[in-house]
Amino acid sequence: MSVPRIRAPRLRPRWGRSVALWAASAVLLVYVLAPVAWLLSSSFQSEREIVSRPPHWIAQKPTLANFAAIFSAGERSVTYETRRAADPASGGYIPSTASSLVPALGNSLIVACAVVMLNLLVGVPAAYAIAKIRFRGRQASLYAILATRVIPDIALVVPFFLLIRNLGLLDSLWSLIITYLAVTVPFSVFILVSYFESLPDELDKAARVDGCSRAQTLTRVYLPLALPSIVAVMLFAFLASWNEFLLALMFTQTPKSQTLPIIVASFTSDFTISFSFINAAGVIAIIPPVILAIAFERYIVSGLTTGAVKG
Amino acid sequence: MASAVQTTGLSHDERRAYLFLAPLAVVLMGVAVFPILYSFYISLYSLKLTRPQRAPFVWFDNYVAVLSDGQFWSAVERTVIFSVIAVAAIVILALLVALLLNEQFPGRRVLTALLLIPWAIPNVANALMWKWIYDSNYGALNGILYQLGFISSYMVWLGDADKTLALIANAFVWKEVPLAAILLLVGLKTIPADLYAAARVDGANAVKRFLHVTLPALGPSFALVLIYETMMAIRHFDLFFILTEGGPGDASSVVAWRIYVETFRNLSFGIGAAMSYILALATLALSYAVIRALAQRVAA
Repeated sequence: MSVPRIRAPRLRPRWGRSVALWAASAVLLVYVLAPVAWLLSSSFQSEREIVSRPPHWIAQKPTLANFAAIFSAGERSVTYETRRAADPASGGYIPSTASSLVPALGNSLIVACAVVMLNLLVGVPAAYAIAKIRFRGRQASLYAILATRVIPDIALVVPFFLLIRNLGLLDSLWSLIITYLAVTVPFSVFILVSYFESLPDELDKAARVDGCSRAQTLTRVYLPLALPSIVAVMLFAFLASWNEFLLALMFTQTPKSQTLPIIVASFTSDFTISFSFINAAGVIAIIPPVILAIAFERYIVSGLTTGAVKG
Repeated sequence: MASAVQTTGLSHDERRAYLFLAPLAVVLMGVAVFPILYSFYISLYSLKLTRPQRAPFVWFDNYVAVLSDGQFWSAVERTVIFSVIAVAAIVILALLVALLLNEQFPGRRVLTALLLIPWAIPNVANALMWKWIYDSNYGALNGILYQLGFISSYMVWLGDADKTLALIANAFVWKEVPLAAILLLVGLKTIPADLYAAARVDGANAVKRFLHVTLPALGPSFALVLIYETMMAIRHFDLFFILTEGGPGDASSVVAWRIYVETFRNLSFGIGAAMSYILALATLALSYAVIRALAQRVAA
């Protein structure tokens, strides 16, 4: 007889708990997804539909015209006279810079991949040295590396600009690759050092006894084991390069070197451009990072929280 | 590893270590340390790109000019307002999100993955998304408030000087909450369950357990999030560039925006560099705290 009386008060708060959790989850989901969903929804609306008041939350006549305009913009030249007539489906407000979008996508991809490779080339040996070799100034070097990120990017803009200009690298992808490398590599080293530290020193000794050089120990023993941290480093370097705006704004001047954020930003300051077209460009800019973030969620979270568990 | 043979003062291991560190050192010297020093050098000259031939050495005149400029101090004030609003909102929301994700329930992992979306999207895309949401003619904010009956006619949002800083802060918060929440979540997971059990035995209710067990134990993570987000807020530029360009009037002209205007619109590189240095020094103490916390965790 006493059993149900004990169970009853337990069951009720549990039921209440899951309702509360579901409600809180729903609120969080709406907060995170609603702005993106609105961006996505309006990218499928025509110029005529997007100016509805109140807005159509879901496109009534969904159209791919905005995306088609982006990917076919290179095929025709848009002038002041022809821009309104350029594409009837989207209302025709195709900006003159639309044809730069696809090349910018390519530029962003090249820069991001180069920065990822260089991060590994420069960061992995350095991180291995700090984590596994005892040398004077070991701790200090980690401090120094992290300290280079103290200065806000905006404060580096003036010297970077003069430096890049004097090297003759303005409007070249190299200016972005070099500066992004310097901006991303400290965090990469930080992630790698903490991961290498968590691998046993005995591996190092065993490999050395077997006649491996330092470089061989690193590439044959530690590198395969450190794969999760390598993946995290690649993701962070890629995302940071793909998303970077301020330095690209300073160094790039023509479609030859302009990256996606620069072209997308140039749309937003042009009042003649339809928001449906800008939104389509925005959707294209967010698709790669969002897919990477969701697909590699585990690596990103472990990378972001590096060292936090030990602390 | 102490078995290395001493030859020329540096052991074999040490020479190997410096060799491994050399490429990184070259990159950071060239693209971080040198520019920082170069920037200080520039800040002592009256360098204007409009007259590049004549750049006299002026000692600290640029700093004096910046610090005695009323516009600069208004920009400082706006930066502080923006940062306080943004960081307070980030910390509170991130704590709520972390507490939610610390519970065990079906769908928690999916929720965590989706939470990364704002963190992952480019600042520029975030900015144009909010610019469109805030649009005074066709934006979603007006649309939803109108349909729900909160406003009787469409309103001006970013163009209203009283609202613009808070609205930009909101866009910033949306993007920053995920990272802050994940950092706090890790802090929550390290709190031993025994502490909660003990508190329960002592008769502490949920609120008391939160105040006396969770919050104190969360201290270090909390401090890290607070300092890191303050640093990010003080130096933020992208949203100001795309959403308002410092406007309406000067309503969202923060220090980062002023540096951009002085440097690339007025082409006063000396003034811009001096202002940058002041901004960097202002965040130096904060940065030091973050770096110490991070480095200690790794190489302790």
